Amino acid sequence: MGLDRMIWTGFATLTVLFMMSPLAVLVLFCFSESPLLSFPIQGWTLHWFFAAFDRPGFFTAFQNSLIVTACVGAVSTVIGTLAALSLSRMNRRAAGSLMALLTLPLMAPPLLLGIALLTFYTSWVDVPLGLHTVIASHLVFTQPFVILVVSARMLSFDFATIDSARDLGASPLQAFFQITLPIVSPSILGGALIAMALSLDDFLVTFFTIGGNNTLPTFMWGMLRRGVDPSINVVAVLIMALSLGATVLGFRITRYRG
Amino acid sequence: MTAHVELRQISKQYGAVRAVLPTDLDIQKGEFLAILGPSGCGKTTLLRMIGGFVMPSGGTITLEGQDVTRLKPEARPTNMVFQGYGLFPHMTVAQNVGYGLRLARVPDEERKRRVQEALSLVHLGDFGPRSIDQMSGGQRQRVALARALVMQPKVLLLDEPLAALDLKLRKAMQEEFRRIHSATGGTFIFVTHDQEEAMSLANRICVMEGGRIVQSGSPQDIYLRPQSRFISRFIGEANFFRGQRKDGKVTLENGLSFADAGKDAEIDCVVRPENMGIRLNESETLPADFDLQIVSTVEEVVFLGPYTHYKLATQNGERIIVEVRDQGQNRCAHPGAKALIGWRSRDHTVLTE
Repeated sequence: MGLDRMIWTGFATLTVLFMMSPLAVLVLFCFSESPLLSFPIQGWTLHWFFAAFDRPGFFTAFQNSLIVTACVGAVSTVIGTLAALSLSRMNRRAAGSLMALLTLPLMAPPLLLGIALLTFYTSWVDVPLGLHTVIASHLVFTQPFVILVVSARMLSFDFATIDSARDLGASPLQAFFQITLPIVSPSILGGALIAMALSLDDFLVTFFTIGGNNTLPTFMWGMLRRGVDPSINVVAVLIMALSLGATVLGFRITRYRG
Repeated sequence: MTAHVELRQISKQYGAVRAVLPTDLDIQKGEFLAILGPSGCGKTTLLRMIGGFVMPSGGTITLEGQDVTRLKPEARPTNMVFQGYGLFPHMTVAQNVGYGLRLARVPDEERKRRVQEALSLVHLGDFGPRSIDQMSGGQRQRVALARALVMQPKVLLLDEPLAALDLKLRKAMQEEFRRIHSATGGTFIFVTHDQEEAMSLANRICVMEGGRIVQSGSPQDIYLRPQSRFISRFIGEANFFRGQRKDGKVTLENGLSFADAGKDAEIDCVVRPENMGIRLNESETLPADFDLQIVSTVEEVVFLGPYTHYKLATQNGERIIVEVRDQGQNRCAHPGAKALIGWRSRDHTVLTE
């Protein structure tokens, strides 16, 4: 191996290590005996897992997170996919400006988005806050991702496949379910996973729109205010595992090939 | 006898753009028809209207006496091979070919038999279980063809079917198309911008320009008797000699003249390069029946294998190509040399438009 090659490999290794280190620390501290988050680790225990699960409100928050994530994933995927499919049928200019409009919420800082949504719910439409407002709010910033991912796929979509299906006797609906959907499903699933991961992680928008309830991120925030102990890492690792598990499962199901 | 397919005053307008002007066209059963024209001439729009993918702005389309103008593609007894083929990437070759039969609820056993027959017809008998991305460009073309043919269409439509293939494969597929056309006895309509492809495949060619059919006839007709400058330029190479026709006599700008009936007009005298003769040596003469002869200057000699192209200029600056089947023995003719060129007046066409 030449010197320049060694330098590049070293650089790449360091970069990856740096990116992975917070995750590694997070996982390590879940099993640390000491209540202080500090090295070196004195001994190992599973105590913090029980501590986290035993906290009042943990399972409600966990359940709420699952409900929000599932609903946001389903709704934003359906709406986002339909939007992307119609965009792909429009002429370039119209599609471009409409796309810019639809992805505008991504430009807004989540903090402002959260406050704006709160104002909207309380002073404009006057709905009680709860999981339903969280779900609606999450749609605002997750949908653009689904639209972007599916639209990118549609750029290379061969529309002659749909014409062929129609030509061979398929109704528009049959062509959609038997041809379009199976061909673009890996991208749709990719978009859905991104939407769900964003929804599961979100703290700011949830914080402003959930009212008296908790999801896992807002539950963690509550724990932080009462002093940090390793059980907070357990909750964090749980969120990570959920995201990762869903992604792996998704790629398995569709045999994603890039 | 009524034709198999009849287009009556069919037209298509996109906003202010008139893609196809009102057009009449009759297609007989068993015909292999080429719609030939440059890109943007409306040929693909015309084909897609026959297939049901473009709703005409006016006119009617009749298929075996039945008006199909308003029928959706899935309801028409036509099938189409698309440019780029539109194969289903998530299905095997056999599933692609069997898709239409499955939709038509053809029983399993019959479907399998017909798929196998169609695949054998295009020489892909063993390729049924393969996936599409394992197939080469030429094989994909044949899968698309089999997928359309298995439906036993009353009319097979082909949109630039060979455009995506390289030259060698294109030649091979042209032969396949001819064989399959005679094997099935079907009516084929194909669209192309390649005049050679149209000549070699079709038994009738419709030349389109600017949204209308400008000439329709056998390949020989189109090649030997082009009706406009556009067609003579578009199909094969041609030499143009400008001139005037007055009182039944044509005088060309290069000084030659001959008798030609017709009203007084500015004309172009068109001669194909292979109908011209050339003599590079002063001691030789052109055959006696080459009644129109003129001295020109050699500008370039291009050896093309079975024949040689001599590019010359006349004294009044007209550029001329002479094609000679001499395999380059006369390559000693250097640029600047004087040459005698000529043609038989029966080999030229006088055009006024």
